[in-house]
Amino acid sequence: MFKKKTHTVLDESRQIELAQKDHRHFGPLYERYFEQIFRFIFKRLGGNEEAAGDLVQQCFMKAMANIGKYEDRGLPFSAWLYRIAQNEVNMFFRAEKKNYSVEITDRQLYSILEESGENSIQQGDLDQLIEIINNLDETQADLIELRFFQELSFKEIADIYQISEANAKMRIYRLLEKINTNWKRES
Amino acid sequence: MRKFQRISNEKSQEPTKEQMVRYKDFASLSHKYERLAKRPKRPLYKDPKLFLLLLIIGLMFLLVFLES
Repeated sequence: MFKKKTHTVLDESRQIELAQKDHRHFGPLYERYFEQIFRFIFKRLGGNEEAAGDLVQQCFMKAMANIGKYEDRGLPFSAWLYRIAQNEVNMFFRAEKKNYSVEITDRQLYSILEESGENSIQQGDLDQLIEIINNLDETQADLIELRFFQELSFKEIADIYQISEANAKMRIYRLLEKINTNWKRES
Repeated sequence: MRKFQRISNEKSQEPTKEQMVRYKDFASLSHKYERLAKRPKRPLYKDPKLFLLLLIIGLMFLLVFLES
């Protein structure tokens, strides 16, 4: 999902510098990352096109307003944008008065169970798993969502949270252990 | 609050090109940003109504203070 640093790095850092001086130069960055960010928000909202359209605009608006504070710490620029998008989506969920449903396919749920070492899985188990995930706190549910539903790599998750890849892996494996424990307790 | 809901059928969760094009508009974003960021700030002395209101409030406080 994140673009690898290639010969465009210089161009991009130059574009960021220009955008920091004048917001009108933000255009090329917008053009480059709009689709990635839209796709990310769209999937996180379970395909709600209208809300995704609003949130993506808000996300880029915030990016434009805060680009002056952006510092290149060796992470892809897109990771900074994903972090803004992640915050916007979470604010959207919190602002929703009633529960906002995000649809998850059976295949995505199976991938969690397989990763946590569960091999004998039945259809009824998936409902139980959804229940366990719904009871996780926001940050934990975000991690599960990014890894298994958005299918991001550990590196991409690490970049979003500005942590090391090893740390991202550890957090997710601990979370899977927790899910597994809750799973065994309930069954 | 977000709640995950299980669905059995595998439907695509990817947006289409048309959906993305519909919302991709840097000109409008830039215009909105300019409106927000460069909102003209009218100084107090150039707004006679607000200036007068604040003056009256200030005078009332002064009178109350002198009375007591």
